[in-house]
Amino acid sequence: MTADAAEADRRREVREAARGWRRAGAIDEAALAAVVSAYPDDRVRLGPAFRTLAFIFTVLALNAIFVFVVAVFEPGEDVAGPLAIAFGLSLCVLTDVQIGSFKRDEGGTETATALVGLGYVVGGAGLLMWEAGLREGALFPAFFALATVAFAAAAKRWGMAVCAALAAVFFFVLLAQCRGGRFLWIAAAVMMIPLSLKASESPRLPPAHRRSSKAVLAIAVVALYAALHLGSWDSGFVEGLASTGTNRWRDSPLRPVAIAGTALIPLAAIAFGIHTRRRLVLDLGLALGIASLVTLRLYVHVAPLWVVLIFGGAAAIAAALAARRFLASGRAGERGGLTAEPLFEDLSRQAELEAAAALAAAPGARPPAHDDRTLTPGGGRFGGGGASGEY
Amino acid sequence: MQTEVDAAVERLCRQQVLSAAQADRFRRVARRELVSVHRELRFLLYAGILVTMAGVGLLVKENYERLGPLAIAAGLTLAAAGCLAWVRRQAPPFSWGDSASPHLAYEYLLLLGVLLLGADLAYVEAQFTPLGNVWPWHLLLMSVVSATLAVRYDSRIVFSVALSTFAAWRGVSVMLLETAFWSGSGQEASLRANAIGCGIFFIVLGAMLRRYERKPHFEPVAAHLGWILVLGALASGLGGDDTAFGVALLLTGTALAVFAFRRGRFSLFSLGVLGAYTALGALFLRTDPPFAVASLWFALTSLAVLGGLLTVHQKMRRRA
Repeated sequence: MTADAAEADRRREVREAARGWRRAGAIDEAALAAVVSAYPDDRVRLGPAFRTLAFIFTVLALNAIFVFVVAVFEPGEDVAGPLAIAFGLSLCVLTDVQIGSFKRDEGGTETATALVGLGYVVGGAGLLMWEAGLREGALFPAFFALATVAFAAAAKRWGMAVCAALAAVFFFVLLAQCRGGRFLWIAAAVMMIPLSLKASESPRLPPAHRRSSKAVLAIAVVALYAALHLGSWDSGFVEGLASTGTNRWRDSPLRPVAIAGTALIPLAAIAFGIHTRRRLVLDLGLALGIASLVTLRLYVHVAPLWVVLIFGGAAAIAAALAARRFLASGRAGERGGLTAEPLFEDLSRQAELEAAAALAAAPGARPPAHDDRTLTPGGGRFGGGGASGEY
Repeated sequence: MQTEVDAAVERLCRQQVLSAAQADRFRRVARRELVSVHRELRFLLYAGILVTMAGVGLLVKENYERLGPLAIAAGLTLAAAGCLAWVRRQAPPFSWGDSASPHLAYEYLLLLGVLLLGADLAYVEAQFTPLGNVWPWHLLLMSVVSATLAVRYDSRIVFSVALSTFAAWRGVSVMLLETAFWSGSGQEASLRANAIGCGIFFIVLGAMLRRYERKPHFEPVAAHLGWILVLGALASGLGGDDTAFGVALLLTGTALAVFAFRRGRFSLFSLGVLGAYTALGALFLRTDPPFAVASLWFALTSLAVLGGLLTVHQKMRRRA
């Protein structure tokens, strides 16, 4: 990131925090205005709705332009790769110009040109490799290595967390191409987790790079879990990502390690998240915990599914209520630095998401059943009738 | 750690923009000495309710012969009553305005109560058939009950359930009960007409809620669902022979975009722009253009829309 983009990003962090304080009523309008004036914004930013539209129409326009050029000039197979690379590189330059000279940030267009540009560069390079005679065994590692480098460089240059996340994904897919890919996943994740954790809190890095580090951290934790997950172990998920992969782990004597990993990684993440008050790790632990419970149900039939669901759901509700009560009963409504109070979060956005999600659970939210007068519930849906699929 | 915020709090405190007490709290949050798990607890509650309801659905399906319909209906009634009784005990006095939630679980247990009530009503209807051939009317009943509870206990989540159940009632009724009434048109056209009607009803309902200040904060739920129904219904006709749906979607989307922009409602503005652009694209493709012309068309029109968006945004910034 350029120095001025990093500085703008740091100032943005302060303004966003101040808006949170104002939303919670912790400061007044005058204080917010003072913060905004002390930490001014020199970037061109769009709100969420405009940004989404700008992103969609930029992606559409760029792809249509490329398709138009191909349709008109009908380049041969040997030209398609270089053409895609040239187009992609020009879009990368355009991204740089937008972020640098035009001072754009959170504008939708620069993210679109970056992602589409990188896609064409990597895709074009893949075509060239194919033309050069590389085939599966060599093509995929080279392709994923290039994708990793390209997206990592983009994340560093433009501070886009989505590029960092994609770079991490490509990196793990690259490792899966190697012999012993599963163990490489474990080794790489074990190395990446502390490094990205440290980077995600480094005061030397601008907030955008810290967010990128968090994205890498999340991918690394998921990769570690996937490498040690019992279902992945038995199905050969990691080996399946390789072009010539075969699964020989199902009957391995190391299988108990996978059982332990499935059970312990979510618990360790939750414990670590609570102990160090790191929400990202806690959230990952909760998500992986749900995955582990589903896995447990698939492997061990302790009770009928309806019993598991009802008691699982009730346990989640009870756990949330107990945690709230426990935290609220502490001094000043907190324990160990954790509180159940929302502090400075934007609750309205979460409420909107919940209202939208509730539509799927509403009575009648199931496909039409012309002659069906019987109750055929399942999957959280129920009702004597059902919504039309047309609605 | 938010190092920038931490440093800013020190500076703002020195400049007396923040008081010492404010600075202390903000500093603790910035340094991660105080962390909220509010979002995680809400997620657990919400997920717990959805999982419980999935289990209830399976329980009814797999055990209705073994447990008997009365036991199941009574069990569902008791569970729903338990949830709603707890909500009633916690509820603040009724207000037409936005009232603060008295408890973290308040809205979620209300939702669980409403969903259990819906399951109960549907089960009773399916087993004992009190409504006979007009059984889809139980969806209308459920919609009215949900809306009443949503208004009384001030829940936008339950209000969205009420609206979607109402739409479901119209959809099922058109397909099963009102075939004679809609016999002049095909089933698809009848459904589309009902979806548009429902959408308009929701939009008008939302406008009235806002105008008369009766739960005005429910308006976005009604308006968004209404516009999605209207635009979606019009878009569903794009594949047919008639160009009327394309023209109608183009005009409606444009009108919505202009209306929403003037009122600063940018999520509705996005819906309008996407609707209008989809219609324009579909109408153009009806002319069966060559591939190169079609791609040029999409390139130019996308760039034109993008240019329009950026110009409008620049004007807004200057005005601000």
